[in-house]
Amino acid sequence: MNEYLVLLPILLPLTGSAVALLLRKRQRLQAGWSLASMLAGLLASIGLLARVWSSGQPVVFQSGGWPAPFGVSLVGDLLSATMAVMSQTVLALGIVYALGSRDQVVRYPAFYPLFLTLAAGLTGAMLTGDLFNLFVFAELLVFSGTILTSISDDRFGTEAAFKYFYMSLLASAFLLLAVGSLYVSYGTLNMADLARRIAGNPSAPLLPVAIALLIATFMVKSAVTPFHFWQPDFHTASPTAVSAMLSSVVVKLGVYGFLRMTTLLFVEQSAAVQDLLVVLGLAGIIYGGLGAVGTYNAKRMLAYSTLAQVGFILVAIGWGSRLALVAALIFTINHSLIKAALLMLAGAVASRAPVKSAAFDVVTGVGSYMPQAGLLFFLGGLALVGIPPTNGFISKMMLFRSGIEAGQLATLAAVGLVSILTLVYVVRAFQRIWWQPPAEGTRAKPAGDRLLAPALLIGAVLLLGLWPEPLVRLAEATAAWLGDPENYIRAVLGG
Amino acid sequence: MELLYALAVGALFGIAVYQILQRNVIRSAIGLILLGAAINLFLLSTGAYQGIVAAYEGLTGQRSDALPQALILTAIVISMGGISLVLSMLYVLSARYRTSDLDEVNKLRG
Repeated sequence: MNEYLVLLPILLPLTGSAVALLLRKRQRLQAGWSLASMLAGLLASIGLLARVWSSGQPVVFQSGGWPAPFGVSLVGDLLSATMAVMSQTVLALGIVYALGSRDQVVRYPAFYPLFLTLAAGLTGAMLTGDLFNLFVFAELLVFSGTILTSISDDRFGTEAAFKYFYMSLLASAFLLLAVGSLYVSYGTLNMADLARRIAGNPSAPLLPVAIALLIATFMVKSAVTPFHFWQPDFHTASPTAVSAMLSSVVVKLGVYGFLRMTTLLFVEQSAAVQDLLVVLGLAGIIYGGLGAVGTYNAKRMLAYSTLAQVGFILVAIGWGSRLALVAALIFTINHSLIKAALLMLAGAVASRAPVKSAAFDVVTGVGSYMPQAGLLFFLGGLALVGIPPTNGFISKMMLFRSGIEAGQLATLAAVGLVSILTLVYVVRAFQRIWWQPPAEGTRAKPAGDRLLAPALLIGAVLLLGLWPEPLVRLAEATAAWLGDPENYIRAVLGG
Repeated sequence: MELLYALAVGALFGIAVYQILQRNVIRSAIGLILLGAAINLFLLSTGAYQGIVAAYEGLTGQRSDALPQALILTAIVISMGGISLVLSMLYVLSARYRTSDLDEVNKLRG
């Protein structure tokens, strides 16, 4: 009975989406139903995490009753369950934001159903134990995200969605080629079975090809430099409720993929992958930081900042020690909360601006009409820079500790130096929106998007900054699990 | 036979990538369709070495593997959805930007 806990976090949003489509004529009911099914999914994933935590064993669901290498397995280990809880928390708050949003797009009958399929795709990709199944869920995620952006209020939404979709189709092509290469070499697609067989025969000629293709796939998914060119456009043009999801939890799919690659699938080959990740991460930190400083739009600035923050996570995965993995996990979770909150606040400011846009020229001084948002943005900005008492401080501190422990002082110095850029762009945005007086004759709209969802997220940011022990303990346990892939393999294959 | 098959898949990949890099909207969409076909043929080759023997025909001797064929079915359905989404977006874009040149679809910058 317990094994159904892995299925529920995927199944509840998916069926919720189907029912929400039937409710398309009744807008309020549809919105309420979508929130309810998202919350039910969140409860299920919390239940899964609690179950995995208390039993100390991964929860495995063999779909159709087929034993492991033959059927599709869904695996909830500590990493998957943690990522699922993180994603669904942010996604549920995204629906809360959409409920209070004044965008036209949230009144579109397919908005909430697509949001729920986005949630199902993301959770499914994280909980699946089968490489081809990962492709299917990733496609569900990509399609939902593309359509949600192309119907955005922003008139350039279609252009951004088009760019993203082309890149993502190519990434899916890479993933399929990797699936084919691994299948022809090892005759299986089950990730646990693959890990065991790759360890048994690491000299298959197509293995390096498959590794390279998988790296390329996850680089596109996480918008890692140099495969990031769609990302600032896409995250700027999508509706606020959606862009807060895309830039916080959806990019974490690639991070999850890299973690699985280095700690489960390609443990023996992981040194080369990790070296590459450090370089790519560093490039992302520098490029994202400079891009964020140089841009003209608050949402775009936050999208560039995501490039840099994912870079920090990749550097930590690249260092690869136990402590570095703890840092990567904490950074991943904290960044999801911070970035979602900041993007929601930028969107809320844009919704009050005379023209609906987050360009600095338009939103200058709009903040003086919404001081509460200013306080929230200030706290979120502190978290993004990494100043106590916020959770951003905890993640930066763990990152620096793991860097010192790993003896990577040169990389660490570069990382520290470039993270000053974060301070520059956060302060600049705050100054433009909340300190400068509005231009002559411009007046903010009387009402905009509600601030409940970002307020809750900032509350979580402060809570995890003041009381980080549970999160740190969870991340330490997860890193310990990642260090023991044999446990995962045994749980899936049995014996 | 295997060599011919490999060459055909390779040629199809080459044509597909070349077409995707074209600026004309229709050509790039055709490139995507060809890429999907090339990948499906590649997947087929991972399991069906006996090109003319169906999966599970007879139960002795070398047989084709049925799993890649199932994968291809799934991939075909997904790429059908993807291509129709691409075509509909291209339709909207070419009407909105009044062009068939993808390089002119560049209003988002910075």
